[in-house]
Amino acid sequence: MENVKDFIIDYIQKEYTIPDDIDIINLNFVEEGYVDSLGLVQFIYTIEDEFGISFSDDDLQNPDIKVVGKLIAIVESKMEAGKQ
Amino acid sequence: MRSRLASLFYENAQATPEKLAIWCDGKTATYEEMADLVSRYSNLLLSQGAVYGDHIAIPMNNSIESVALFFSAADLGICVVPLNPSLPLEAIKAAMEAGDIKHVIARKAFYSDCEKSGGLNIPGFKICLDQEYPGTVPFAKIDDMSSERPTIDHDVDGSESLILTMTSGSTGTPKPIDISQDNKYDRSMAHIRVYKITKEDRIIAATPLYHSLAERLVILPLILGATSILLPRFTPAIWLKCVEEQKPTFTIAVSAQLAQILELLKRPDAPQINSFRSIVSSSALLEASVKYELIDLLHCEFHEMYGASEVSTVTDICFQEAKDKQNSVGLPFDEAKIKILRDESESDFDTDCAPGEVGEIAVKSKLQCKGYYKQEAMMQAAMFGDYFRTGDLGYLDEDGYLYFAGRKKELIITGAINVYPHDIDVIIGRLPEVEECAAFSYPDDRLGEVVALAVVPKEDHEINLRALRTYCARNLADFQQPHKVFVVDKLPKNTMGKLQRMAILDYVRSAGLDD
Repeated sequence: MENVKDFIIDYIQKEYTIPDDIDIINLNFVEEGYVDSLGLVQFIYTIEDEFGISFSDDDLQNPDIKVVGKLIAIVESKMEAGKQ
Repeated sequence: MRSRLASLFYENAQATPEKLAIWCDGKTATYEEMADLVSRYSNLLLSQGAVYGDHIAIPMNNSIESVALFFSAADLGICVVPLNPSLPLEAIKAAMEAGDIKHVIARKAFYSDCEKSGGLNIPGFKICLDQEYPGTVPFAKIDDMSSERPTIDHDVDGSESLILTMTSGSTGTPKPIDISQDNKYDRSMAHIRVYKITKEDRIIAATPLYHSLAERLVILPLILGATSILLPRFTPAIWLKCVEEQKPTFTIAVSAQLAQILELLKRPDAPQINSFRSIVSSSALLEASVKYELIDLLHCEFHEMYGASEVSTVTDICFQEAKDKQNSVGLPFDEAKIKILRDESESDFDTDCAPGEVGEIAVKSKLQCKGYYKQEAMMQAAMFGDYFRTGDLGYLDEDGYLYFAGRKKELIITGAINVYPHDIDVIIGRLPEVEECAAFSYPDDRLGEVVALAVVPKEDHEINLRALRTYCARNLADFQQPHKVFVVDKLPKNTMGKLQRMAILDYVRSAGLDD
């Protein structure tokens, strides 16, 4: 299993390299067009598969999942909760 | 003999070396720089063993390098097969097989995905666009290549396939639309003539380069000596910012994008946009209200076109000119003729519909593609004599103007009555709480199919199902009544923003809405 941060950053850059001067952690990858809104659902499913976690409907409505750093934190906390 | 497309581009580079050829995502190339890049790219391909007639697949993003590849391929008589990088790997592999791919150019993520699922078996080279990846040639090698236009040992007469555009057929098998160099040239020339495009124009392309629309919008300016503005990715905000900064004068946009752009333009803090002299809407009919609001806000000529990838643009209308034909998609290009075919079951002899009568739109055009690559039977099945059957429904009026009436294959047949979903969409779409909606076919034991409706509510609005049903009862015919209504967050669309009506059923089921 890959590290959550690398996995998410690699996925977002499947099509485009994010320029060096961009603050990746605070990047809203949906607003900036790196993943479109339909693609976001696919992305979340892929993350669920990769890390064995699941997102609730409320999670999917949470705008934080579109921001790289916040998404990483959400995934990590779900993984942590899964271990307990 | 050398490629006409590539030679026109090189001539422009000679004539106006300092002029801006292309802008993409903050990067620019003058004609001289672009010619250097094209030559280096050609030399890179040759150094890896590419030869005349080879097919190269590329999961393609919008970049200056992608545009250069089209011109390198043209110059060498090579065919590019641009693929949607967001497709599942299995679909990409099926497309590669259908397109007889010899070489691949891709990003590292693609090769790494391939490796996870059994590797990628192709006979030729693999180039990795970003970073290094085992078993691939790094694209960075291009820096070591000569910037001289290479000599070639094979004539390029224009009949060569330049691009295979992959669309999927109704069965899901890839349908590669084979566009020759001459096709691309003729299509560019037709658009230059109809839209009076000149060297002074700055043409913005905002759709993905693996679709024919954006390919046309980047190739055309470079063979004309104009400037290409290529949007890396589309969001309405990115488009607006780019338009403010780069001041494009012409574009062909897809209607779904224009509707999103309008939302932004209506905000009180929206910038004034007045660089465009002409905008063309394509891909799907634009709502009349959207059209008139855009005309007000963009201060330019506003056109709508109708066409299909197989036959390029067929008709065009300028709304400021054709005031009494506001619901039409216009008159045919000089290169095209239209027939409206009556349903075959009725008569084999009297196949042409009378003015005003809805039938299948069939097109005979000098801009028609070479065919579906290695799928002659599929192409044959799509032809009626020398007319290409678009699968779209429409009618002509007494003056020869074409009107679009929906997709034939999206037809809902309920108890043997034909229902045109578009008619229902228009009626439901008038409700103030509806953002967008689509009627679609739902399987039914009794009637074969019934009408179902997917509705996306406007932000902060709710759909009251009871009120909706009352409205339907009042405003739709009995056979048009939706038997099922699904409130959804969005409608499935393809990357061009075109509604995928046939995918709605799967979408509502996968969302767990259909129990």
